[in-house]
Amino acid sequence: MNEQNAPPDQMLVHGSLMVGFAQACVNLNIVAGRDATNFIKGLQINDWYPLAQWERLQELVVRSYGNVDPIMVKVGIAMMTGWYHYGPGKEVVRRGASFLHYQTGSGGFASVVRGPERVVGSFELELFDKSRGKAIVHSTTPFNRKMECGVLIGGMLAPGDIDYVDVRNDEDSDHLVVEFH
Amino acid sequence: MSQPITLEDVLSKNETELLAQLSEKELARLYWKFRGLAKTLERDTAFWNSTNENLKVAYETLDEKERELAAAYHIIRDDLEVAQSVQNALLPRMFATMASELELGVYHKQLTEVGGDYFDYFRTASDRYAIGVFDISGHGVSSALVMAYLKAQFMTIMERLENPAEIVEWVNRASYEFLREVRKYATVNFVTFEESTLHYVCGGGYGLLLGADGQEHIFEKKNHFLGLRQKPYLEEQLPFVVGDLLVLYTDGMVEAQNLEGKDYSVARLNDVVWRHRTLPTEEIVRLCVEDYHSFRTQDSDDITLLIARKTA
Repeated sequence: MNEQNAPPDQMLVHGSLMVGFAQACVNLNIVAGRDATNFIKGLQINDWYPLAQWERLQELVVRSYGNVDPIMVKVGIAMMTGWYHYGPGKEVVRRGASFLHYQTGSGGFASVVRGPERVVGSFELELFDKSRGKAIVHSTTPFNRKMECGVLIGGMLAPGDIDYVDVRNDEDSDHLVVEFH
Repeated sequence: MSQPITLEDVLSKNETELLAQLSEKELARLYWKFRGLAKTLERDTAFWNSTNENLKVAYETLDEKERELAAAYHIIRDDLEVAQSVQNALLPRMFATMASELELGVYHKQLTEVGGDYFDYFRTASDRYAIGVFDISGHGVSSALVMAYLKAQFMTIMERLENPAEIVEWVNRASYEFLREVRKYATVNFVTFEESTLHYVCGGGYGLLLGADGQEHIFEKKNHFLGLRQKPYLEEQLPFVVGDLLVLYTDGMVEAQNLEGKDYSVARLNDVVWRHRTLPTEEIVRLCVEDYHSFRTQDSDDITLLIARKTA
């Protein structure tokens, strides 16, 4: 489905995000890898797809694991590693810390989703303190939070200038607390 | 003035004594690099633990499925054994008129427990007899069920019709819709016997008549398989006198192959029969099977070989 055919209140996900997710699953050899490859057959990387299609893809991973959190973190990291080293990442992000600004700005999350704000949610940088190595991202997107933690970790580590990154959302699932040095 | 030592210098030169020359800033970097590696290890360990747990669950599930499969397999085996006894019970026994005039040897082997090769002896309306050899397409249970169906059709009509072409035509007409529906067909070699002649209808399968006088006649396949078309069947008549040998068989033996991919062939089977034609029919069958076994790598189809000698 492309955006012209989508109902006006429906959230759309960019094909690049879906292909990136499935490719990460394949690269990590997780159970859903082969299923995910089959699932993305016919998907166009530049087209837009309903959220439900993304959720079906994500469900392939979630249903296979008793404890899926570490898996989703790793998938998020692998997605951003692929994006940086084999995609356009190097062109737009030169330093690890700037990935936080990129991802929470117009080129990041906002560029791969479309739809009404109440459905799409937001991905905003609430705090960024480089001297203390701390940042907080507030996320109300429909995506898996652990995957989002992984996306931030992978994106910040990819340029290679940051020695330590951890992202946690233990206390409040919508607040991703970033520590970096 | 020399450049201050960096963490990268220490790592690239692999000289630990340089550590003492690192500035506080570089030592802090070393600290965070170590913490970063420890964190990566922690994430990787969590990932692998989760994957291992998933594998453990998958193995347990696989084990359970294997047990279920084994149980289902036993049920199927039991059912097949019952089906095999039922199919064996459907195989014919000679009746008095036949036994007084024919000496018979038969080799009949289904590829699996049950199958689609079928032979039968029938009593005709005039108290004579007939022999039919059939090969139902495919193998296994579905073909065995069709075999039982065809047997019932023949049993129904044998008491009413005498002419073999009419009998086969009636069975074909009665079975046509059913066979089309289940997508099956069957070769037919149907022979009725009179005092000194036989009449045959051949629609697939193989037939050979070796006269006591040395004459040889190979059955002409002028007819269509059961279940393929609805049109009349043609019959042929041949003399069949004391000492003559009738050989009927399906394609199971002759199409089996050896290691080189060569067929056992009609010519080879007929030649074995010819060389041993004076022996008792059961012995001829045994020698045919022995020769076949020495040739083929493995059975690939149901097999029926029936040899009858006119004795009176």
